[in-house]
Amino acid sequence: MTAVAPRSESAVHTSKRTAILEDRPVNLDGFVEEWPEKGLVAMESDYDPQPSVRVEDGRIVELDGRTRDAFDFMDTYIADHAIDVETCEAAVATPSVEIARMLVDPRTSRDEIVALGRGLTPAKILDVVKLMNVVEIMMGIQKTRSRRTPANQAHSTSAKDNPIQVAADAAEAAVRGFAELETTLGVLRYAPLVAIGLQVGGQTGRGGVLTQCALEEATELDLGMRGITAYAETISIYGTESVFVDGDDTPWSKAFLASAYASRGIKMRFTSGTGSEVQMGNAEGRSMLYLEIRCILMAKGAGVQGLQNGSISCIGVPGAVPGGIRAVAAENLVASWMDLECASGNDQSFSHSPMRRTSRLLPQMLPGTDFVCSGYSGVPNKDNMFAGSNLDTEDYDDWNVIQRDMQVDGGLRHVREDVILQVRNKAARAMQAVFAELDLPAITDEEVEAATYADSSDDYPDRDVLADLEGAKSVMDRGITGLDLVKVLERTGFGDVAENYLQVLRQRVSGDLLQTAAIFTGDFVPLAAINDANDYAGPGTGYRLSGERWEELKKLRHVTSAENPEEEVV
Amino acid sequence: MTAAVESVRTLTLREVGPAERGTRPDEVVIALSPAFGEPFTKTIVDVPHAEVIRQLLAGIEERGGSARIIKVYRTADLAAIAHFGAKLSGSGIAVGVLSRGTTVLHQRDLARLSNLELFPQAPLLDAEVFRMIGANAAQYAQGQSPRPVPTRNDQMARPRWQAKAALLHLKEFECIDHARAAVEVEPVITRVD
Repeated sequence: MTAVAPRSESAVHTSKRTAILEDRPVNLDGFVEEWPEKGLVAMESDYDPQPSVRVEDGRIVELDGRTRDAFDFMDTYIADHAIDVETCEAAVATPSVEIARMLVDPRTSRDEIVALGRGLTPAKILDVVKLMNVVEIMMGIQKTRSRRTPANQAHSTSAKDNPIQVAADAAEAAVRGFAELETTLGVLRYAPLVAIGLQVGGQTGRGGVLTQCALEEATELDLGMRGITAYAETISIYGTESVFVDGDDTPWSKAFLASAYASRGIKMRFTSGTGSEVQMGNAEGRSMLYLEIRCILMAKGAGVQGLQNGSISCIGVPGAVPGGIRAVAAENLVASWMDLECASGNDQSFSHSPMRRTSRLLPQMLPGTDFVCSGYSGVPNKDNMFAGSNLDTEDYDDWNVIQRDMQVDGGLRHVREDVILQVRNKAARAMQAVFAELDLPAITDEEVEAATYADSSDDYPDRDVLADLEGAKSVMDRGITGLDLVKVLERTGFGDVAENYLQVLRQRVSGDLLQTAAIFTGDFVPLAAINDANDYAGPGTGYRLSGERWEELKKLRHVTSAENPEEEVV
Repeated sequence: MTAAVESVRTLTLREVGPAERGTRPDEVVIALSPAFGEPFTKTIVDVPHAEVIRQLLAGIEERGGSARIIKVYRTADLAAIAHFGAKLSGSGIAVGVLSRGTTVLHQRDLARLSNLELFPQAPLLDAEVFRMIGANAAQYAQGQSPRPVPTRNDQMARPRWQAKAALLHLKEFECIDHARAAVEVEPVITRVD
């Protein structure tokens, strides 16, 4: 009765070919018929409203067929905070086909299409993207993503919440090229130790990698304010008032939380995605994409710099209806077009079929997004406490080959084994030193050795969980901050890791990470929409994989040497 | 056993009267959702509802508890269904079950959104698990602290079942009848060979 049981139960005779097809992994996936009346439909529904907007006395008094007296709080928030009152009537009057063509046409600049987008209503935006096929959607993403250089994000978690494992896998993920690392927990009380593991491991792998720990909102904010994490992402928003209210939230409460992060110079983005409302039974008869566009505008109205979208944890819902993955690509396009950083999904177990997993990935990977995955599992999926990702550690080499085949930068690179072992070992030793200095339960040499060579949590000695949880509590009770960790690292001979960590903390003061789509290079140069603006304007422009980076991506685990075909390139 | 033709059990829930508070201190109430048994007949992974009830009852019985079944029509919210059942239970313990299989063990003194044990992944609940849930319910009802039923996890449940779960959720919502009070039912399980 698990999800891997074969599906076929037909008693009628079938051909041998049908038997083979029945056994293909894709037939373990779930597919359902549309039910538009209930919102179980991707993006083409007769029940979505028609675009309209009317302004009186400098205020929007009608939005997508509803007058202000009939607004729900999403309408109110979007009308008052997300739409440019000056331009909206003209923008909505522009034929949708013209706007769709502007999105695709390289001769229309990003600035121009973003400016026009500021005046559009949710139904108008939907009307535009409904005209676009997936290739056109990808053209739009290529032009509208905010940062010129694409990047990627990894999950580093442990089925046993083992902080040493998280540190070692974070170090490996960082050296492989991920710009952001995210963790979460099985046992929430473990969070402080695992968040420390993520940060220490990350800064060991590559200075400037940004880390976050997905938790309930108060603890997540606390860890951010202490400087144990560097950004936040899992602040969920929804497309209907009823789902918001179910979660005891409103757009205003989420905006307040966003400002709490901004007040400390901490990078943050919201999270939303198609399918969440219908999954919770409160889609109010609207299509998944219409509701997601409302989320995107709500995020924009709240003033956050970015959004994680692309269905995220509800991917099984759009993934099961016709045109669902097109809708998921369209939501990434709309987030980018609305001038938000887009961390574009590909982050949850999506399909049993390797072919289908790849096809779901390409609309983000080929045009490039701010974070192609949000995130890619930097641990085997069985250790992934976000319930598995579309890609995991077993796919590293495939990813590198696809980058090389397509000459596309997906943010990763092949790294030699000795380098990986070195950073894993160092991360584990740094954790050993930090735990010793802070009187946390000791990390043994055996655990360091295990971390160096491990694949999954099964390869580590078990920790004394109760002692660790006591230690985690004491980290919070003692008020330990990021700066304390920097001092400990410096004292214990990990000066370079301490220096990296300190640089990340310093950025809170300069506020550089508050710019849209900000990440760090290995030299701590912030790359954001303000200094690395996407300048795509057709062939020969924008980000091109070339030079040193392209040489780096030509390297794989096994490439036969041209000079000496009896050997492989090292 | 595999070669034999499997027998199928069907479930009829015969209404015996309004759902009322019980008095037996060892009583477990099984609280069913609006679509359980009728119009739906099986869980998301085709466990017959007859089998769900049979295993829950067997689990309760083998641990020395007694059981009563009620059907709720005014809500399809599992926490609300189970908490409502717990308040009617002589022991204060109830098992809430949605028609797709999602199950929770509840206790009347807990907050509605809290629980004793929650089994959120309906695709992973088979006959054996339902029997263990019944057994634990009976032990809670007798004031014991049983080991929680081991939870299962399958990261590939999402691609296979998430959309069907949403669909079943919507259908269950359509069966809500605000005008209809909860009733006590008697299960009639018929074996069809």
